[in-house]
Amino acid sequence: MTSSVLAALQKRFNYDSRSAVILLAPVLIVLAAVTIYPIFYSFYTSLFDINLTRPHRRPFVGFGNYLQLFDDARFWVAVSRTTVYTVVTVTATAVLALGVALFLNEAFRGRRFLAAMLLVPWATPSIVNGLMWKWIYDPTYGSLNGLLTQLGLIDSYQIWLGDPSKTIYLIAQAAVWKQMPLAAILLLVTMKSIPEDLYRAAKVDGANVFQRFFHITLPALKPGFMLVFVYETMISIRHFDLFAIMTQGGPGDASFTISWQIYIETFRSLKFGTGSALAFILALATFLLSYLFIRMLGQRGADR
Amino acid sequence: MTTTAERPSPVAVTPAIEAHRARARRRPLLPAIGRRALLFCMSVLFLFYVIGPVYWVFASSVQSEADLVSVPPNWIPKDVTLQNFEGIFFYDDRAVTYENRRVGDPATGAFIPSAAQNLLPSLYNSLYVGTWVAILNIVLSITAAYAIARIHFRGRRQTLYLILVTRVIPDIALVVPLFLVMRNFLGIINTKEALITTYLAVTVPFTVFILINYFESIPADLDRAARVDGCSHLQVLYHVFLPIGMPAVVASLMFAFLTSWNEFVLALMMTSTIDSQTLPIVISGFVFDFTTSFSLINAAGVVAIMPPVLLAILFERYIVGGLTAGAVKG
Repeated sequence: MTSSVLAALQKRFNYDSRSAVILLAPVLIVLAAVTIYPIFYSFYTSLFDINLTRPHRRPFVGFGNYLQLFDDARFWVAVSRTTVYTVVTVTATAVLALGVALFLNEAFRGRRFLAAMLLVPWATPSIVNGLMWKWIYDPTYGSLNGLLTQLGLIDSYQIWLGDPSKTIYLIAQAAVWKQMPLAAILLLVTMKSIPEDLYRAAKVDGANVFQRFFHITLPALKPGFMLVFVYETMISIRHFDLFAIMTQGGPGDASFTISWQIYIETFRSLKFGTGSALAFILALATFLLSYLFIRMLGQRGADR
Repeated sequence: MTTTAERPSPVAVTPAIEAHRARARRRPLLPAIGRRALLFCMSVLFLFYVIGPVYWVFASSVQSEADLVSVPPNWIPKDVTLQNFEGIFFYDDRAVTYENRRVGDPATGAFIPSAAQNLLPSLYNSLYVGTWVAILNIVLSITAAYAIARIHFRGRRQTLYLILVTRVIPDIALVVPLFLVMRNFLGIINTKEALITTYLAVTVPFTVFILINYFESIPADLDRAARVDGCSHLQVLYHVFLPIGMPAVVASLMFAFLTSWNEFVLALMMTSTIDSQTLPIVISGFVFDFTTSFSLINAAGVVAIMPPVLLAILFERYIVGGLTAGAVKG
């Protein structure tokens, strides 16, 4: 019987289609099990008022969890912290990466060594990144205090991460350190693909360094910047590791981001419904922002 | 590269002229005067920012706690000691027992907390999970990437979108349903296999993206010729695409291993036993435990940072090539 089914299938689909199905099946099965099913399950969960402290009653509330979140002051704190963190991280990463890419695009001795060193922060595990900066920022023994005092920039040791007005920026700084290299590499590669003739022609026309930069380099870097913005935004908006290791959302609510709120609601308050609703809002925001960047900066980016 | 050779030259091209031309061909954005000095200063600044923090972790890991808490800090370690690493790698010799319980003292750093004994098993777990993720990731991704890049079937764009869009979901949103899948359907919660399966979800979409970009740069005539000669798709993949795509394959292996080695959130939620916990989990335990000395935390950090950084520098060319495969085309 199986052979007749196979024969029927062979007649219906040509060799290419059958091969495609067979070659794609493993990936699709794995993704279905570990992402696609969980996504739908997660959405389903977000429609119920699930509280594991009260496991047997889980009423269907529709979009109640979402509406409740919009009334929750803490949610808006989380939104503002996440926004600040994402904007600061992405902007700083892009600017710094542009500087580094311009620098490494120059021909000089040791350039290859420096380019290789760029991969050190990229390969550093985020947990180590977190403990490293936490140790550097340490208020009593940290090297940041030591360095700034020795340079005479500050008179006495400062509290860094413990100062709510600085916390989010200091965490963003740690994130930039790790994320800048990839952005710089992407921009550098894009930069190398700019035709030499453009610069020569501009020089002949009497354009100075800055004119060449603003009229040739920057516009040509658009596809590179698109990748950087999409990628960095996706990473930053849902970043969790550094918050977990460095501040745990504190001090107070100074680093209380959406990803941290998801963790708190799900694993501390055991409100799975609220946690899933938050996760969905975050996923939607990520999707919309990525789409926006691709639309704004992409040429044929739309089909990627 | 060959521009000078194409142009007839009135004088013999000596290596010096060649070198000068090579320099002249690059566009100098910075004015020539003071260029060298400026580049040198920038190199120092660059290294200070990029390598400085990692240097400080290394320097802290070979100091005793007493040296480490000095004000101002010992920028260059005074007495290099490996006692922190001894605590990690030879925990049994240093275990605190009833007899020697007063020998060690947290303030001096001679005391090794019992959490240190977990580091070595978790190091093994990280290696095990990372290796399997790297292998399975490429096996799964390469067939999918080949199918999407080369076989013209209906819905190939949609399939690619479906694979890529899964990365929009934050990992933390997947934790609860994944936990249930692993426990109820597969029964592998708290195992390394659960982590391997989960990490594939993270690495596969990106790997497929990298490989497709790479495969699309391979001339279509090549595989068409092989197909005409009677190769099946699997044979084309194995005999044509695998050898040509080697740089991208190596990049994917590295990328998957590093992702798995560095991952934290999913491992935190999916594993609670020392048989399955990976390095980041054990290290985060160190950081949260305020009795652990800074020097030991830094030593653990060094253990975790060495393999990925060494791999990244060794395979720099492949990684940069792989990561940027899609960048130029935009």
